[in-house]
Amino acid sequence: MKPVLELQQVKKNRTGADTRPLFMDVSAQITEPSMIALLGVSGQGKSTLLRMLAALDRIDEGSVRLHDVPQSEMDPKAWRMKVCYVAQQPVMLQGSVEQNLRAVSFLHRIPYEDKLVKQLLPRLGLEHLELGKNAELLSGGEKQRISLLRSLLLRPEVLLLDEVTASLDRGSKELVEQVLQEWHTAEGTTMIWVTHDLEQARQISGQVWFMGEGTLLENSATTTFFDSPATETARNYMQGPASKEQPCLS
Amino acid sequence: MSILGLSFTLLFVMITMLVSVWQKLGLERDIAIGTIRSAIQLLLVGYVLQFIFNTSNPWFIALILLLMIGVAAYHAGKRGKGLRGIVWKIAIAIATTELLMMGLLLGFRIIEATPQYIIPISGMTIGNAMVVSGLLLNQMRREVGSSKGEIETLLSLGATARQAIQDVMKRSVKSSMIPTIDGMKTVGLVQLPGMMTGMIIAGADPIEAVRYQILIVFAFASSAAVTSIILSLLSYREWFTKDLRLLSIEPERKG
Repeated sequence: MKPVLELQQVKKNRTGADTRPLFMDVSAQITEPSMIALLGVSGQGKSTLLRMLAALDRIDEGSVRLHDVPQSEMDPKAWRMKVCYVAQQPVMLQGSVEQNLRAVSFLHRIPYEDKLVKQLLPRLGLEHLELGKNAELLSGGEKQRISLLRSLLLRPEVLLLDEVTASLDRGSKELVEQVLQEWHTAEGTTMIWVTHDLEQARQISGQVWFMGEGTLLENSATTTFFDSPATETARNYMQGPASKEQPCLS
Repeated sequence: MSILGLSFTLLFVMITMLVSVWQKLGLERDIAIGTIRSAIQLLLVGYVLQFIFNTSNPWFIALILLLMIGVAAYHAGKRGKGLRGIVWKIAIAIATTELLMMGLLLGFRIIEATPQYIIPISGMTIGNAMVVSGLLLNQMRREVGSSKGEIETLLSLGATARQAIQDVMKRSVKSSMIPTIDGMKTVGLVQLPGMMTGMIIAGADPIEAVRYQILIVFAFASSAAVTSIILSLLSYREWFTKDLRLLSIEPERKG
């Protein structure tokens, strides 16, 4: 069976005077729909890697394939509909909450899944939201969940989640985790989830990708990674204070 | 105006020079170059126009219009540095505007089909289209920089380049037209436009001069709209790479 997503020797250079690569030799294969936690200290290029997988940043060397089709050979629009990136800083499009949720339907002229939206809004803790409200007036946490829901309506094969629960309170965070877990099971969507919340990573993922020392240092089952990390860097990372993510260069 | 009268206008240059020396502005060299260049350029244009008016050869008219469009496109193109083929795109936008304007003016016999009318009115239309093109590109650069999140959000939802940049384009087109529209509102109240002033000084009836000025003001509004829309449609794709990623936009440079 062709792998869902395959990364081969992926490299990203830094911009500016620094000639050292941000990361290199990043190779991994996702053979079946998975929940992957992408971990690592700040500045390792986790967000950049997600953006490269979503064809938003250039792959300087190496290749990324979806069902064995290289990103470079696929129409970027078709690629992004299948491999969708959800940004850490949610951006609301101009207009109401509903217009934001209708974005996918509008862009691709496909029916708007009203029933699904009505079903998911309360499950994301957004039952109180007026759909006619100007999306720009939502709180950070509300924007983050609307932005996530907007991307779910695209029904991508691979969902790239960049700290999507960072500005949520504990209750909302758990709701989002639950919705995404169920979505993964029901839809078979692969999720690559950048997080700094180790407890979250332990709960939601079956696989951990750990970035350190300028590469993908570990790629192992979640239990293996947390019980017996293979590298000193990963051990230090897990013992260190749970650091807040700094905005990554992208 | 006699040659002697014209020579006395150098007094204005001397005043500027004196101010520069007195205030140590260090602009004397630039003032001298500016004075010589403007005098030579305008005198040359005067002779060229005189020649063309006398011959009335349509090829010469076409040549001078092409030259105007070329220079305008080159200058406005500086605002679109880094965008592929931008000078050509501006030239096409301005040329289309010019063809449309002249087509309407001549087709409806609003002006006479003589170089005396065609060249000055074209010059003003092309000049205005040049300013609008520059404003549009500047605004696009600013908007693309500040709306990166919005554009990339749309891209990540599988949008086409056009869909992703549509709102940015709309805002930029609007912004590029504002000075022309504002100009329409205050024309005659704040300043008397150059063409009207020139006609009145040259002895034309003020009402006749005003009629032509109204023509120019309306033509400007429509040329601003046409140029801005054509240029935005021709150039929006250039803000993206071939593989549909947003270009990294350099901040706007002054000057």
